[in-house]
Formats: sequence, structure tokens, C-alpha cells
Amino acid sequence: MIATQLAATPSATDLPGPLPGPGAEWRPVLVLVDRCKGCGLCVASCPKEALALEEEVVNVQGYHPVKLVDAGACTSCAICARVCPDCALVILALPKGARR
Amino acid sequence: MTAARPAETATANPAEATAEATAEATAEATAATPAATPAGTVARPAATVPAARPGHAPPPPRRVLMKGNEAMAEAAIQAGCDAYFGYPITPQAELLEWMARRMPEEGRVFLQAESELGAINMAYGAAATGARVLVSSSSPGISLMAEAMSYMAAAEVPVVLINVMRGGPGLGSIGPSQSDYLQAVKGHGHGDYRTPVLAPSSINEAVTIVADAFELAERYRTPVVILVDGILGQAMEPVEAGFRTPERASADWVLSGADGRPPRVVKSLHLLPEALERHNLHLQAKFVEIAAREVRWAGEHLDDAELVIVAYGTAARVARTAVARARAKGLAAGLFRPISLWPFPSAALADLAGRVRGFLAVELSAGQMVEDVRLAVSGRRPVAFEGRMGGMVPTPAEVVAALRALDAEAREGGR
Amino acid sequence: MSVEQAPQPRVVFERPELLADRTTTYCPGCGHGVVHRLVAEVLGELGLGPRTIAVAPVGCAVFAYDFLLIDFVEAPHGRAPALATGIRRVRPDAFVLTYQGDGDLAAIGTAEIVHAAGRGEVITAVFVNNGIYGMTGGQMAPTTLLGQRSTSSPGGREAGLHGLPLPMTEMLAVLPGVAFAARGSVADAAAIGRTKAYLRKAAETQLARRGFSIVEILSNCPVGWGMTPLESIQRLRDVVTKAYPPGVIVDRTKPELPASPAGRASAEPASAEPAER
Repeated sequence: MIATQLAATPSATDLPGPLPGPGAEWRPVLVLVDRCKGCGLCVASCPKEALALEEEVVNVQGYHPVKLVDAGACTSCAICARVCPDCALVILALPKGARR
Repeated sequence: MTAARPAETATANPAEATAEATAEATAEATAATPAATPAGTVARPAATVPAARPGHAPPPPRRVLMKGNEAMAEAAIQAGCDAYFGYPITPQAELLEWMARRMPEEGRVFLQAESELGAINMAYGAAATGARVLVSSSSPGISLMAEAMSYMAAAEVPVVLINVMRGGPGLGSIGPSQSDYLQAVKGHGHGDYRTPVLAPSSINEAVTIVADAFELAERYRTPVVILVDGILGQAMEPVEAGFRTPERASADWVLSGADGRPPRVVKSLHLLPEALERHNLHLQAKFVEIAAREVRWAGEHLDDAELVIVAYGTAARVARTAVARARAKGLAAGLFRPISLWPFPSAALADLAGRVRGFLAVELSAGQMVEDVRLAVSGRRPVAFEGRMGGMVPTPAEVVAALRALDAEAREGGR
Repeated sequence: MSVEQAPQPRVVFERPELLADRTTTYCPGCGHGVVHRLVAEVLGELGLGPRTIAVAPVGCAVFAYDFLLIDFVEAPHGRAPALATGIRRVRPDAFVLTYQGDGDLAAIGTAEIVHAAGRGEVITAVFVNNGIYGMTGGQMAPTTLLGQRSTSSPGGREAGLHGLPLPMTEMLAVLPGVAFAARGSVADAAAIGRTKAYLRKAAETQLARRGFSIVEILSNCPVGWGMTPLESIQRLRDVVTKAYPPGVIVDRTKPELPASPAGRASAEPASAEPAER
């Protein structure tokens, strides 16, 4: 039996606070977990294979939402967000010159 | 509703006889229904001719011979019609053509659509933005508009539609008829709704009714139908009722672009049954209000009538002649002329059923309004029918003969 | 990974303002979601939100008015271009667009779209073509491809029985009143980007009052096609775009081409100045 648990409250992102500060873990892709319908188009479109659908978790709609599995590979190209039919992905980029 | 103008009832002009009869009906209705707004009595401002606007030709003089189609078109223009959409079909093409010439002169919108389907949907779109819109057609084209009538009634969008009825069914004939009565009073299209239907019986009255129709449409946010027949559309009569420009109703629902306000939606889809039922209850409440306040009818010789002809439009004019001839031969005939076909003047007819011996419905059809007469009379008196179809018009002689037959039937019944 | 300094990250992609912050009724992977977003982006970038009056279809996208934060009227099936014509004629300053599917535009609404285009009506039609009737359960559409199965063509579309799919945008492009006609798709991010450019060009065509504009957007219908979202995108990319080639189909806004249709523009020869409508 697949364990189900709500990953977040409605409309929440999987990151506390609006944007990462010093010392925080860098996450260029913010997932609006309960907006995601688990269609998988973003996963297939990512050139860095940095995304995957949750396997054990479903959201309030009953879908397996996407998650960022390889933040280091992500270049903030936003291809995933552009193919997403649900605007479930918010993409952040570091300013030029900033190091991760 | 012809404004009651007692000062002008001196002549034998049918239009003024109507005004006199209306005053009679007004008095009767006032006596019969003392409640707040007596049916058939609506105070109207005196009809006025708008002053000439700078740069524009002055409005027509007070009394001019006009073809019905053209008179209704001009009445709409003077009533402030912003846009007209139509399609050629006999016997109302002159209305389209008048609009084609005059609307651009007034800086308004005219467009001949690709079909009646296109025309009514253009009207729906324009009216959804708050424009005052007129569409006209004739029976086969009206059938194409049924879909949009249902949508506009549901979305509560005001549009005035003129049906110049012709012989049917199908392509039928181009002669006059009244065979779209049921279609009109039942709303034309699918679903639980009605629309006000007004039926003038003279071109003069039609001119007044056009302005009233715009007012009704906007006051109640509903399509309004003006039902005339090919004779009224094609004939020429003196028009002396002044044109009137009704005030615009306030409209906080119109689409104008969500500039500094939340977006608005004009729609008829309510998928949840609970929500759709709520919406339908709202519509039904509106129809109850219209039925209470907007009934119109006129009567002639009803004071002493024993046999009452019920007829509207051109049939009422034939009936008027028949009444005169019947009375000259000793038959106590009278005329009950519905002007609002929906809401139908059932209460007034039911009152009459209390004291007359019988009713004769006269129509240019196989008998459609007669059903509503029978409903109103509820079996208390005999209701006979006389009519012609296919573009044929009943003659006064035929109507008088039918009256005699009704008279005999009513006597046999011992009533 | 950690951020060693405190430079503020920037948002490079988020939901546009004119798109409502709510979950849509569209199926997982459905292209309507992408098209809605592109419309919201283009309208927002051009500042058209406050003066847009849009016409919603009958079809899955009947709910467009719940997701796009602009004034909307819901049309009967296929009639949207007629409503848009009425709106355009009485509201000269509005930005007017229709949003229609292939059943709405290419079947029941063919007369309305042809005549709006023929009149050179200054409106923009957003034509989402997924080759199927999604809302009603997956029946055949005029743009369903040969051999494609649907619930009303269970053996697959046959030319002898059903005719060939209609190339609506090519048909409309013949009309001089059509100032700009293009076909895009949601097959991948690059195609989506080009589609957005077509939508933007269509909007600019309307703003310059050059005439009628239409952007057909090939889309997918995973449920109607009986596929997963990914399979449907693959079919869109590999099969559908071969049958309906994307690209600009006609662009009469270019100065060297004849300007507006007969009767609407003056009889002056084409010039470098776009003709006002």
C-alpha cells in the first residue's frame, strides 16, 4: 500500500520563506505542491534531469507532485515552468557572479 | 402602450379610437384591480419629438406617412438604439435597409450579418457591453435565433427583437401570419424562461412600443420581442406618436474591460445543480415581477359586450370591423385586444369571463393564442376560434359568421 | 549547497498576473493550461488587461473565464466570432479576442469565423486545435487526423466516410481581411516560445487595426487521445505537427504586401505605412 501524506498545506511551496538567504539551501525551483497535477511534462523536458515525481507522496488533488531532486544541476533555464500547464513551478536564478 | 390622451379622442382615426379605448380599459382596470399597479395602466411621459442635434437633420414632423418596417426602425433610432444587426428576409427587409442608411448617418452601428444566427449573436455580444441593440427578422430567421434567445435570457442580456411574422411552417410564404405566437410567448428557445412579448396593432402603436421595448429590456435585463405580422411591416399609415428616447438603466454588470475593478463574466453555465436552481429561481422571480407589472391590453365596447373577440395585431383590426358590423346587427360584441402577449392579460380575461357569454379568438394561424384564452377562461364560457393560415387574412364577414355561431352555441349552453 | 553571500535571487518565471491563482479544471498535461498562460502573459506585457473583452467557447475552455482575469462573455457553441464582432463594433477601444477549440471553430462555428475573417473584423481568434472533442468525451472533430480513433470514429477516421481534416487556418488565410494567421504548438518549450511570439504579433496586429488575426495552437488531449500526458506531447510533436505544419501562414502586415481587404481600406497602393482601420 502506498503511504500517503500531505506534503504541504494548500498553495504552499516546499521552502520556508519567500527566497533563500545566507546559509540556506539553494533551491532554484519552487513547487506549488497542491497546484501540480503530476503530469510529468516538466520531468521529461528538463535538460538536466533534475526533476522527478514523488512516489510516496500525493497532494490534496490526489496527484504525485514533482520535486527538485538535483538542485545543483539546475541552471534556472525555466523550461520546466514553460511546459507546465498549471504554473506550478516558480523559477529562481542567482544574480550574475554569485556563487553557490 | 398607447398613452391615454383624452384631448385627442375626438376623431374617428383608428389610432385615436385605440387611445380612447385604452382610456376605457384604463378606467376598467383601475376599478377592477385597486392594488398598487393596475394592469394596463402605466403612466407614460407625453411622447416628445427629440430636438434636432447639431449637424444632424431634424427629426421627422409630427405626422408622417410611414411604412411599418421603416417606422419601427426610425423609432428604434430615436429611442437611442446603438447597434442594429440583421439579415435580409421578406417581409422585413425594409427595416434592415432603413437601418443601413440611417444608422451610419447617426454615427451608430449597422451590420448585415452572414445569417440570422450571426446577427443575433452579434447582438448578444454588443448588448453584453451595455449597448442598446435591435435585431429584426421574420419567422424562418427567428427560428435560427432561438438558441441565442435562450442564452441571452439566461445571461440576462437586454436585446429587442422584432419578428415580422410570415406564413409557415418551414419556408412557408411571404404573406402575413401570426403563427409564431407560441414560439414567442414560450421564449423561442430551450429552458425555463419567458421573455416579454409586445404586439402592436397599428404602425402608430408600434412606434411607441419600440421605445417601451428598450426600456423593458433594460429595466428587467431581458430580451424583449415585438411581434408584428407582414401587413403591419409592409403597410403605410400615418405616424403621429412622437418618438421617445428612454433613459438608460444603470448597469453594473456590463463588460467594459476590467479597468480598476474585478473582471465580470456574462454567462449562462452553472454546472452545479444547486447553483443552477438558484439562478433559475432568480429568473422566475423576475418573471413574476414582470407578470405583475407589465400586463397590457386594450378593450373596445366591453362595457355591454356579451360576446368578446380576443385578437391582437392585424387580427384585432379585422375584429374591430367585425365588432362594428355585429353591433349594427344587434349582436352585443366587444373586442379584447392583448398588447402584451407575455405576460398574457389572463386576469382581465378571467374577470370578463364572469359576465360575458362567450369568447371568439381570431388569429392569422391555426389557433395559438386561443390556448392562452382557454387557460384564462378556465372552461367557464365557450371559447371559439376563427382563423386563416398561410398568409391568408380572415375577413370581417368570416368573423361575424363565427360570432353568430358562438352566439348560438352560447345560447344552447344556456349561459 | 549553500549561498555564501547574500545576493538576492531573482524570480525568472512565475504565474502572470492575469492568470488566476487557482487550480484549473483542465486534465493533467492539457495544453489549455499553457495557452491560458501565454494569453495572460501577452495581454499583461501589452497592458491590455483593463480593456480586454474576451469571448469564451463551448468546450473544455468554457471555463477560461474562471482562469483569465479579464471581462468575458460566454458564447453559444461556435458563435464566438459573431459575439466578438458585436463587441468590436460597439466598443472601438476594447481589445477583443475569442478563445475557441476545434469543435467550436471548425465545426459548428465555421460560418461565424469565416465571415468575421472575411470582414477583416479587428479581433484576434485564439484557436486551440487538439483534434478532438474533449469536453464531451473524445468524439471526432473536423481536425481529427486520418486513422485517429475517437469515440465517434472507433475504427479510426476514414477519408471516404469522414473526409479529410480541415486546414482551417490555411482556408481563412486566403481572405484579404486576414491580416495575420499563424500556427503554433505546445509541443515543447521552444514551440511554446514561438507560439507566444505569434500571439504577441496577433495582438499587435489588432492594436494597429490591420484586420483579423488568428493564432491556431496545436495542443494535446491526453484523455481524449487515450494517452499519458507525455505520450500525448510526443504524438503532438511527432505526428500532429507533420499534418498541420506550424509557422506563419499569412502576414499581410508587411508593407510590401497589399494592405486591407476591398471595401475597408482606401484604394491607395501598398505603402510603408500600415493602413489604419
